[in-house]
Amino acid sequence: MSVKIEASEGGMPHDKMLGIGLIGALLCLYLTYLNNLMGTDFFAFFGGLAAVAALWWGTDSIKKLCSYGIGTGVPSAGMIALGSGVIAMVFATKLAHISPLLVPIGCVIIAAIIGVVLGFVSDNVLNMNIPVMLRMLTELTVVGSLVMLGFTAMVSGTFTFEGLITGSSSFMGVEMISYGPSVVGGCVLATIFILGGIAIQHPFNACLGPDESWDRTQMCATECGFLSMIGIAVMSLAFLSLAAVIVSLIIAVLGWAWSFNELIKLSKRDAYDWLDAEPIREVGGDS
Amino acid sequence: MSALGGGSSGGDGINPTASVIAIVILLVAVGIVYVMYPAALFPLIGVIIGGALIAFGVHFVPVGGAPAAMGQAPGIATGVAMLAAGAGLAGLFGGAWAAHYGLWVALGAGAIGGALLMAITCLMVNVVYVYAMGIPAASGKVEKDPITGDTFPEYKSSGTEGHGLPFISYVGGVIGGLFGGFGGTLIYMEFLAVYEAGLPTVLMATPEEVVPIAVGLAGIFAVGLFLVNAVITAYNITGTIEGPHDPKFKRWPRAVIGAACASAVCGMFAILLVVV
Repeated sequence: MSVKIEASEGGMPHDKMLGIGLIGALLCLYLTYLNNLMGTDFFAFFGGLAAVAALWWGTDSIKKLCSYGIGTGVPSAGMIALGSGVIAMVFATKLAHISPLLVPIGCVIIAAIIGVVLGFVSDNVLNMNIPVMLRMLTELTVVGSLVMLGFTAMVSGTFTFEGLITGSSSFMGVEMISYGPSVVGGCVLATIFILGGIAIQHPFNACLGPDESWDRTQMCATECGFLSMIGIAVMSLAFLSLAAVIVSLIIAVLGWAWSFNELIKLSKRDAYDWLDAEPIREVGGDS
Repeated sequence: MSALGGGSSGGDGINPTASVIAIVILLVAVGIVYVMYPAALFPLIGVIIGGALIAFGVHFVPVGGAPAAMGQAPGIATGVAMLAAGAGLAGLFGGAWAAHYGLWVALGAGAIGGALLMAITCLMVNVVYVYAMGIPAASGKVEKDPITGDTFPEYKSSGTEGHGLPFISYVGGVIGGLFGGFGGTLIYMEFLAVYEAGLPTVLMATPEEVVPIAVGLAGIFAVGLFLVNAVITAYNITGTIEGPHDPKFKRWPRAVIGAACASAVCGMFAILLVVV
């Protein structure tokens, strides 16, 4: 039986964060579908916002899981979340055959099934005996799949399997539809995978410690999400119209600038001293 | 190494009830694939074997974590997720490059790729330990190196669990890379076979046209499954292990059961993609 260490006191209850993150992410994903309804691609940026909402919630799940000594460091939880999430997410996009509206909710359900199995294996088969293991690994798998689905929707403007595997390339001025230059065929999924992975691993890993505070960790998660969103917006240039890419990029850069600014403010609030590139002073030292 | 320094958890025993349930879940997943898409039965079994090989292989790799970086524990100074991902992906790239030469050449290339990466990593880790940090290789878990017979206690600093990378850990790392690269490539090849056979009928396209999608999907799923299995193994060894001589090595059966179960469920969804 492991020893529980409280990471930080206060902050929003985890169940409330789960609700906000899950509903926010699903809502933003469904708003991405406006692209298909209205025949445009300006709503792609909602996918990135869905990923940010999921990351914001997932950071708290990682915090809850890692406050028990799991022994492997924080990033491993992010890797298992994305590794299983990508399978759930691609499977869910295939449900678009039945109805495209099934994709986001199907993604959550399939990820939860995989997550329950992974949580059961980790907690019971491996004898970890951590009370929150099953629940948090389930949540993290859902978060991983939602982050993947959100960023994929942002990069391609759609979340149907057909949309992800077909791309167009122009050859001698003639538009050709083929499978190569697509999100899956071009292996853009791999880049999305690691951009999402960085964003989910980093926040709690960076902020943990005795002086960890809830709002700073969550702001760091938001900042990481928007930072990955900038990268995704640049990548979406290959699939979307220039105007839509610029809209995505502006929203991502504005979101990142705001959250980074807030993060610096919170860091200054929590820091013992803010030195701006001077040598670090010892607490109680005479320098 | 726990980032928060919490007590490590996990005993040495096997939980019989949970293991039986895990095997039942595995069989159910195999059964669902057999009913829905019988042609993919053997590929799924290949994926399960690949996952189990990854889980077994990671037990050989000397993972030191943060204490190793401070010279307080033996092993390579990083976590399982990074190390296994490095070895597995190196193997996967090697195997994927050799994929058109046939299954066994690809598997061999994958195994050699993973082992080569681990060999280079272990060598450079020891160069840094010996010449940059100035610490000799000494294990804290055993008195003598099982291969060379070198004794450790007189070189071990007091207050540490050992330091550096003893020869047995080096050998363990290379064996772990072999298993990991082999398992990762096996998963990739099985998925690739399923998609190359199944996607043309689903998409009503020629086999040549679907190659980019088959490669892309098989690659990303192989990476995902590799990370899932590596992290499950990391949980089993609670983050750090010295190599095959470490007492924690005896825990491998439950990691193999767990990884096989997880691979079966993830592999089932990845394969049913062709059917839905």
